[in-house]
Amino acid sequence: MSRASAIPHALDRASSQAEENPLLEGLAAARRPEPCVLVIFGASGDLTRRKLFPALYAMAYRNLLPDPFAVVGTARTELENDEFRAQMEEAVREHARDPFRDDVWERLMECSHYVATDFADDRGLDALVALLNDLDERRGTNGNRIHYLAVPPAAFETIVEQVGERRGREGWTRLIVEKPFGHDLASARSLDEHIHRWFAEEEIFRIDHYLGKETVQNLLALRFANGIFEPIWNRQFIDHVEITVAESIGIEGRGDFYEQAGAIRDIFQNHLLQLLAVTAMEPPIDFTAESVRNEKVKVLRSIHTPGPKHVVRGQYGRGFVEGEEAPAYREEEGVAPDSTTETFVAAKLFVDNWRWADTPFYVRVGKRLPKRETTVAIEFQRAPHPPFAELAGDGLEPNVLIVHIQPNEGVTLEIGAKVPGQGMAIRTVNMDFLYGGAFRTSLPEAYERLILDAMLGDATLFTRSDEVEEQWALVDAVVATWQRDRPSFPNYAAGTWGPKPAHDLVARDGRRWRRR
Amino acid sequence: MAASVGEIERELAELREEAPEGGAWLRTSVLTHVAWAPPEWREAAEDALAGLAERHPSRTILLVPEPDADEDALAAAVDLRCFSAPGQEHHVCSEVIEVRLRGRRAVAPASVVAPLLLVDLPAFLRWRGEPPWGDGAFDGLVDLVDRLIVDSTEWEGELPPRYAELARLFDRVAVSDVAWARTTRWRTALASMWPGIGGVRRLRVTATPAQAHLLAGWLRSRLGRDDLELEIEPAEKLVGVEVDGEPAPFPPGDPPHPSDVLSDELDRFGRDRVYEDAVRAVR
Repeated sequence: MSRASAIPHALDRASSQAEENPLLEGLAAARRPEPCVLVIFGASGDLTRRKLFPALYAMAYRNLLPDPFAVVGTARTELENDEFRAQMEEAVREHARDPFRDDVWERLMECSHYVATDFADDRGLDALVALLNDLDERRGTNGNRIHYLAVPPAAFETIVEQVGERRGREGWTRLIVEKPFGHDLASARSLDEHIHRWFAEEEIFRIDHYLGKETVQNLLALRFANGIFEPIWNRQFIDHVEITVAESIGIEGRGDFYEQAGAIRDIFQNHLLQLLAVTAMEPPIDFTAESVRNEKVKVLRSIHTPGPKHVVRGQYGRGFVEGEEAPAYREEEGVAPDSTTETFVAAKLFVDNWRWADTPFYVRVGKRLPKRETTVAIEFQRAPHPPFAELAGDGLEPNVLIVHIQPNEGVTLEIGAKVPGQGMAIRTVNMDFLYGGAFRTSLPEAYERLILDAMLGDATLFTRSDEVEEQWALVDAVVATWQRDRPSFPNYAAGTWGPKPAHDLVARDGRRWRRR
Repeated sequence: MAASVGEIERELAELREEAPEGGAWLRTSVLTHVAWAPPEWREAAEDALAGLAERHPSRTILLVPEPDADEDALAAAVDLRCFSAPGQEHHVCSEVIEVRLRGRRAVAPASVVAPLLLVDLPAFLRWRGEPPWGDGAFDGLVDLVDRLIVDSTEWEGELPPRYAELARLFDRVAVSDVAWARTTRWRTALASMWPGIGGVRRLRVTATPAQAHLLAGWLRSRLGRDDLELEIEPAEKLVGVEVDGEPAPFPPGDPPHPSDVLSDELDRFGRDRVYEDAVRAVR
């Protein structure tokens, strides 16, 4: 039996639990994961402090953690258990979305442990395994493990090998891998091959935290739970699609990483292409991991490699963002003074399939843009013949459906409406659905959803190896053309919407980026 | 003070034109919440609403029956309750309509409520106290809404016959019971005792009688243990359960706030078959 077939789907498991235990029927606990230990590699890092432990606290707050459960942090930093717990308490107090409650923290703290080790050190890893076995015995976690690689990519292979060599016979083992998964197609394949020596594809959970965002999932709900959209979600009714992933921040001290990655590897290759895939995919037959990912990968395979004229790259110079003076990228710490790393990418992409042929997808990602905003805007064809065009044409715009991924999470439909009074003046007005307005509960952080799904064995919101490969293949093709010339950087000021060629890219088609 | 449905609607329209301080606002509604609150329940209803409106932006119609009033009249006050949306530039506003049904106007409240329901959005009826089974006013409202929310803890006297009356409504309207919702944490704790709990014969519950009966009904129906005996130790809330003399694990966390319990029920849309089975198994 392959490992794939040995891992039952989370929903099947939940329903079989309910079949066995009739008291679980109707209780939310049916989605509670099996007992397990979460091992965080890189536990002294920023991700653990800002995202992972606050997410675990939110899960503990809502009673969503398995019972029994333990979390083991591991990193090179020498720390005692108590010191680690104190640091994580501080992190939870600072970053958790819920109020701090002593009883919730006590429960989480009591099952938190720390092991200091160099990942390449056999003795350290042996000590970790000994602790895990001890936890199995004392707490009853049954050998079930999730290994979370919250470490720089350079450490992935070593840890995978160390963990793979030591995986036990009891229980299940899953591996959560943070992005970036490789730095090009060849390295992604190599990393995949390495991981597959010890782990089956079904055991690998590649995180793209955008997929854990409620609003990205709402894009699926919007498309596939509303009969009005799907019939018009195609080239016949949609003029073009615009996807923007804008950040107002700079590189935040990550100069070493960013110099190697740039905007195309940091955001474009993963978040942006996943957003495009979710926007353009065909309806899956169900919401299982394989069905959803099968449809996404078809879109990624269908993206036509853009020619040089359809891609614009940029790098920010000095400027002002939200009133504050921002340094140029080349002045940031860890950045070469003559760096040619891009901090902005805009592209005109085509999805060559029956639904989307000839419909441009204008996409852009960038740092030090005027505001933080991620949106997917679907612009529909103009009304073919508005009978009152002569009287009121000035204010009449095409309908646009805007999915606000962040911030102001929600959906806006721009429609033309008559201005009250004499005549037939038409203006564009917004119909807004704001998450914060309709559902007055704070949205769960993406990491809460993703960690819970990994515990349940549900990989729907994680990327599969073939998706990652398709994404890298596209990026590699774009980057290959960049090797031939030396860009004139910087070419946009911090606090603006990117270089002029990005505007020309859209203007050449008689369109413009949406006003913000 | 509006004295007719037409006047209520006019006042609502006027409110929409008035922006609250602080600029842009959204009138947001995801449901109509009808609350039947006789004067003795009005304060409790207001308390629950205070926490509810922010989480479930809705049009709330608070019906205060005053059948013994000297006159036959409607007296309605319309209000807009606004909250700032975290991280957003907008205020979110919900409409609250308090309608006093005086004299004969309390006989057919459904005729007042029907024109005020938000089109196509689900309607919930929160009935304070024990419903007057078979009464026309109650039946009319039940037939108008998608979900009836009661709290059987508020009922007095022998409970089993009252649950039998409630069960007769199950094919007409989806029913939520706040007393049942308050047992959720304990049901989870009891479920963790599976499979040992499968052969349970005696249940001792320290709780309100309603909660005790519902827990026993739940175990009878889910486990097929019709012979399960229940012993009730009356208390103001559910604080302990013993299964054949063995204490069930105390559930973690604090009991939810009343408005949170009601709010959770407003998230439900379909019938709760597990609850219905539990009610039918109350002895």
